[in-house]
Amino acid sequence: MASRFSGALQLTDLDDFITPSQECIKPVKIEKKKTHTGSKIKIGEDGYFDLSSGKEQKLQKVEITLADCLACSGCITSAESVLITKQSQEELLRVFSERKYTDSRGVTQDVSLIVISIAPQPLLSLAVRYKLEPEEATRKLAGYFRSLGADLVLDMTVAEDLSIMEAQQEFVQRYRDQADSDVKTLPMLASACPGWVCYAEKAHGSYILPYISTTKSSQQVMGSLVKQFLATKRQLPPGALYHVTLMPCYDKKLEASREDFYNEILNCHDVDCVITPIELEQMLSNQDKDLSEFPDSSLDWCWEVSMTPGVRRHGAPGAKSSGSGGLADEVFMYAAKELFGEEDVPLVYKNLRNPDFREITLEKDGQEVLRFAIANGFRNIQNLVQKLKRGKSPYHYVEVMACPSGCLNGGAQVRPTEGESGRSLVGRLQDLMETLPRAETSGAAVRHLWSAWLGAAGPERARHALHTSYHAVQTNDIALTTKW
Amino acid sequence: MAKLELQQNLIGHKGIVWNVSWHPLGNMFSSCGEDKIIKLWSKEGDKWVTKTVLVDGHQRTIREVAWSPCGNFLASASFDGTTAIWDKKSGQFECNATLEGHENEVKSVSWSPSGNLLATCGRDKSVWVWEVAGDDEYVCEAVLNSHNQDVKKVVWHPTSDILASSSYDNTVKVYKEDQLDSDWTCIATLHSHDSTVWSLAFDKTGKRLATCSDDKTVKIWQSYGPDNQEGVIVDGEDATWKCVCTLSGYHTRCIYDISWCHTTGLLATACGDDILRIFKEADDSDPNAPSFDLICTKLNAHSQDVNCVQWNPSGNGELLSCSDDGEIRIWKFIME
Repeated sequence: MASRFSGALQLTDLDDFITPSQECIKPVKIEKKKTHTGSKIKIGEDGYFDLSSGKEQKLQKVEITLADCLACSGCITSAESVLITKQSQEELLRVFSERKYTDSRGVTQDVSLIVISIAPQPLLSLAVRYKLEPEEATRKLAGYFRSLGADLVLDMTVAEDLSIMEAQQEFVQRYRDQADSDVKTLPMLASACPGWVCYAEKAHGSYILPYISTTKSSQQVMGSLVKQFLATKRQLPPGALYHVTLMPCYDKKLEASREDFYNEILNCHDVDCVITPIELEQMLSNQDKDLSEFPDSSLDWCWEVSMTPGVRRHGAPGAKSSGSGGLADEVFMYAAKELFGEEDVPLVYKNLRNPDFREITLEKDGQEVLRFAIANGFRNIQNLVQKLKRGKSPYHYVEVMACPSGCLNGGAQVRPTEGESGRSLVGRLQDLMETLPRAETSGAAVRHLWSAWLGAAGPERARHALHTSYHAVQTNDIALTTKW
Repeated sequence: MAKLELQQNLIGHKGIVWNVSWHPLGNMFSSCGEDKIIKLWSKEGDKWVTKTVLVDGHQRTIREVAWSPCGNFLASASFDGTTAIWDKKSGQFECNATLEGHENEVKSVSWSPSGNLLATCGRDKSVWVWEVAGDDEYVCEAVLNSHNQDVKKVVWHPTSDILASSSYDNTVKVYKEDQLDSDWTCIATLHSHDSTVWSLAFDKTGKRLATCSDDKTVKIWQSYGPDNQEGVIVDGEDATWKCVCTLSGYHTRCIYDISWCHTTGLLATACGDDILRIFKEADDSDPNAPSFDLICTKLNAHSQDVNCVQWNPSGNGELLSCSDDGEIRIWKFIME
């Protein structure tokens, strides 16, 4: 079976001939007890037995978790099979029916609230698949999830707003720091794409990681909102909330499973399960149903402020958005205003070598003061990385996404039907994206929500809630792995 | 009767010699191997001698060297994960650009006929296309993940920007650029070999492709365009590649390399049984089901595996070979 992860992730698979299990280098932790005689191990028909204590004690099988795989320089494709156990439609349906789940630490929790969060790109993908208008598709999706047993169905607009707001401030801070010190803080590279982040960690480590925005992606901000803010409001232990996100790619499953997003204080992951349009299509077809057959239902709203729930688009008003959440647009507009007092600057991108690499600049008094780029797809990531390594990158900010055409073309969006090209389908999704109402990023409502959630927490905790960190993965080149 | 006459035995590399590459003019060639150095050879009188040794370009084994069509640039692919570009703008050969991006061992490098593009491939299963952007700048144009195993070799079509690669996954893939979004896509997968396809070579016209494999066979593939007269079904506008001939029963071990002479049409193979073989298309060969005859077998051409074989591009019948035994040999093909 071909890997379903983005190309960037597939390339970090260091192995070619030997199947992962044979070369997995994850060390096994063994609880050591003091013995004078050393261990005696007997191989039985149903396992291995330790005889050193005098009686037969069955040894535990080694289990490799997804988090182990992510922290390792070895294979990545093996992580896919590990994923299936925690992040599949089967697991999701099981949690719906049993109302309990076992987390990555092996702790079984009872579920009192199942929360579904819907991102814009998968919604559009499903709308096109089932020939519905985006708003209608939203209502049908809410109805479908409710029929499965979901307690709350939410849009992710507030999390997108918060994530963008935080990224805007991080950028302005970095821009000012750059001027004041020798430390290279720019370009700031977007952190929203887990395929790109994982590739950077595995292949480029310390060269690139300092440039990647520490602001959490919208999925992970949503996770923190649900497990921290919502759980507190509902007076529930965070582990009793089972949080599912509907996202455009499989790489998001890896992101949700990162140890960094396991909250040690709350003892749970921020996002428990990521489900994608392809899987949703499969779930519906297993039931022999069409999305339009489900009853209409509206999205829930559980934030302090008054806003109309709904899936929104981010990015410059009137301009074609990147399809990946409009990060470059939003940060550019904010920086132009905040740093140079320029309001309503037109966002006109210039295509570079290919349509997936385009840039935009701001001039002030004949001087170029801002240069932003959008780099989608692995080839453009390569050229960006090589430029950075040679100190030749002219950019202040780059929106980097592993998939060509960005998130609308995510690896787990519904495939085009026979006769339609992938490009034409992405074009239709792009047009549909423009019809969505534009979100009011940094609007009063979002600021109010921020205050309600984090205002009293102090700057350190507020930072912690919205930022993350990255870790270079050391590659081991042992002689055994050398092949001609 | 045909024979391969040994002209000269060239010693100088320490350890395995992986690859030799003729300069497009045919009066010079480069060699590389386990000793991490590149040697440039040319003739002094009637003897081939080492003229230049390029050192310090790579940290590990150099697997392949390739001259650009203009003859001014030399590319070297190494197990250290990089591809180096050498030129002598300064008067002597220097490494002035390094292509980085492959995760680990780079196995092969090839220049497009125009010299504007380069392709590399390697153990990370990917094929990369690079554009020469001027001033020692090389830009990644595409990263192709079509193979699901180690990619052994990349070779360009002789006249157009069409690329072919062969792999440990037993297949050959053909790629071209999609003009709409200037991205590259795989347009054909050639299935028929039962084991690793080690190397491949186009004929002069680019309509035929010869592949050699660990399955001890050589296969000849022919391309059929959308308007072909033979009734071969073509899906879309890209040509279909059909296996029209399999040469089996000749080689006794893995075949590591194949070279198709663009002047004489002769095929030469380098084999793990230490033998060089020459094949010629039969006079009464059917164009759609060609037959090839083995016309020359050079036993003990080397004392160990023959890694590479290459016809002199000038068409003078000179053949270069190199081997695990650390030697490079120059042969003259003589048809009597």
